[in-house]
Amino acid sequence: MKLHAKKITALLPVVLGASLLSAAPARAQAATPEPDNGTLDVEQLFAGTCGFCHSDGGRAVGKGPQLMNSPRDDDFLRNRIAGGKEGAMPAFGGSFTGPQIDQIVKYIRALKPR
Amino acid sequence: MKKQWRYSGLPLVTVAAVLTMSPALAQSVNTARIEAAGQNDWLTYHGSYKSHHHSPLAQINANNIGNLGVAWIHIPGRSTRGLQSMPLAADGVLYYTGSYSRVFALNGATGEVIWSHFPELDEGLIARQTHSPYNRGVALGEGKVFVGTMDGRLLGLDAKSGKVLWETKLIDSQKLTVGFTGAPLYAKGTVIIGSQGGEWPGRGPIFAVDATTGKKKWEFLTVAGTDEAMKTWGNESWRTGGGGGWMPGTYDSETNSVLWGTANPAPLYDWSGADYKTQGARPGDNLYTTSVIALDIDTGKLKSYHQELPHDAWDFDSSVGEFVMLERDGEKYVVHPNKGGFVFVYDRNLGVKNVWRLVENINFVKDIDPKTGALIGRRDFAAGKVTEPLCPFIGGGISWNAGSYSPKTGLYYKIGQEWCMTLDIQKTTPVTTPQAQLNIGADFKMAPPPGGEIYGHLDARDPITGAKKWEVRYPEPPLGSVLSTAGNLVFVPDSRGILHAYDAETGAELWNRNNGTGHQGGIISYAANGKQYIAVTAGFGGMLADEYAPNFGGVYKSMPRDDGALIVYSLK
Repeated sequence: MKLHAKKITALLPVVLGASLLSAAPARAQAATPEPDNGTLDVEQLFAGTCGFCHSDGGRAVGKGPQLMNSPRDDDFLRNRIAGGKEGAMPAFGGSFTGPQIDQIVKYIRALKPR
Repeated sequence: MKKQWRYSGLPLVTVAAVLTMSPALAQSVNTARIEAAGQNDWLTYHGSYKSHHHSPLAQINANNIGNLGVAWIHIPGRSTRGLQSMPLAADGVLYYTGSYSRVFALNGATGEVIWSHFPELDEGLIARQTHSPYNRGVALGEGKVFVGTMDGRLLGLDAKSGKVLWETKLIDSQKLTVGFTGAPLYAKGTVIIGSQGGEWPGRGPIFAVDATTGKKKWEFLTVAGTDEAMKTWGNESWRTGGGGGWMPGTYDSETNSVLWGTANPAPLYDWSGADYKTQGARPGDNLYTTSVIALDIDTGKLKSYHQELPHDAWDFDSSVGEFVMLERDGEKYVVHPNKGGFVFVYDRNLGVKNVWRLVENINFVKDIDPKTGALIGRRDFAAGKVTEPLCPFIGGGISWNAGSYSPKTGLYYKIGQEWCMTLDIQKTTPVTTPQAQLNIGADFKMAPPPGGEIYGHLDARDPITGAKKWEVRYPEPPLGSVLSTAGNLVFVPDSRGILHAYDAETGAELWNRNNGTGHQGGIISYAANGKQYIAVTAGFGGMLADEYAPNFGGVYKSMPRDDGALIVYSLK
């Protein structure tokens, strides 16, 4: 089952900043905007980045822990996403705003087995 | 207690007096020396330009290996993601790196620290990086030690003191978030180093720097680096990039060429389906990703290439793999393994002479034509769940550590990995601006091969035909490099932490010792003061090793991923 998160309008500045490119190659050189409070397509974010370690879109353990049914509270998840963990997880605090990190946490909480 | 011969130049064994020089008598490492591959040294990442990862030393041999014991240990500290370095040895001095590009020069007989250099790094940047902060080694040349950093610099250090002689910023790592983890290559007054690249937007540069001054000589872009290559990235998809050359290649003095393997295009997985030439994330062959390339060492101009996997849609790049040079029946060959589990045999101009299969579980193609290298029956996925697991796993049928070729036995000793992955391809939008993000293009998970178990194997094969003489299996794939010696020995440092020694002719296990933590780095042999040593790095963790605890449990559950040691053996 696809998550409703996929329906969120994609204005992801960092990962999807070039979302128009596939349709309009002529605009390929447009600078990607700085992070703002736009909404994320978190499912795509997992397919592009997070899922490299959090397997199966966060549903299974991989290099990083399984996120589905995580026993960690929301504050822990927010802090870990923003600050990372040396040698294990990059710090994404410079890439995402607080509200965007909240969206990632919301995605994690909504994860269900496929 | 070890005798104090350290700097005296007095050999323990008289006959070794002409073979072994003390550090004080050391001569500068140059191209001719690396080419000659003197038996006492290990002067470049792959042992010599021939890349045999073989030592002609035979003091330690199949008859006396029972007397092999630990001579000394060095702890580098702060081994985040373990130790992944290939030590080098010159004139009795051992050089190696730890995480964060920490460089050590050690007395090869005693382990005493001669000097160390800890570069000051951009820690904020490193905290944002995914494939960091491990380092895979140094290059030696002209009295200098060369090392790359994760924040995009190449350093030239004085081999005697460790003092920084020059420092050259090659990549804007703050912008691109990638740097250097691979060892550089020294040849002909030039230091060559390739950047990380496969998972990020960027054009995957390989750099050449003047060894004396540190001045950049040339740069080759592995993504669309020529007009011809630009045409193989439809819809300006070269902007999503990838490529790079994150492991060292070698130098062929006969053709005056640098041989280098390049990484995969981004995103790793494409949703194009069979129409990959015109559809999907990056329509076309995506030159010069997942290729072997020959560059003129003086100019950086492309002389020849072979794209091992046109339009690589599986992350089976060609950055892994040594370039084993050998001759047979008057023909000169270069043998290069690809991450997908096939081994390519080329002539010296990278013309395909044969392709053979090291790994059993391969289904990203049905086969590769051994005459032309053309892919037969390739699987190109559309968006959605892939029904039959993809084999091998993203970690590869062959990983980045090196195999070994023994001129004595004529056999190529190489680790194969049997594992697969479930895959759900996502149609993503192009990533053209680098931040901390990767560009994978799928959700995935490790899975066993259909109808079987995950395992690894050391094969002893004919390097040209692939004919197998013997095989040793492991419950989990070993990730470290392999060493063969003229003492009729093959050493394999495995993932559980056991260092094995086998009879090079038969594969019979002759000796093993537990180094206390998993291996995923280099192993070499060298001589100091007339005595032969085996040096191996131990220390687990990183992009592939981190999969072991959740998937295999057992000893990996408690194995540290921020620790490591250099362990050096000799006869008691």
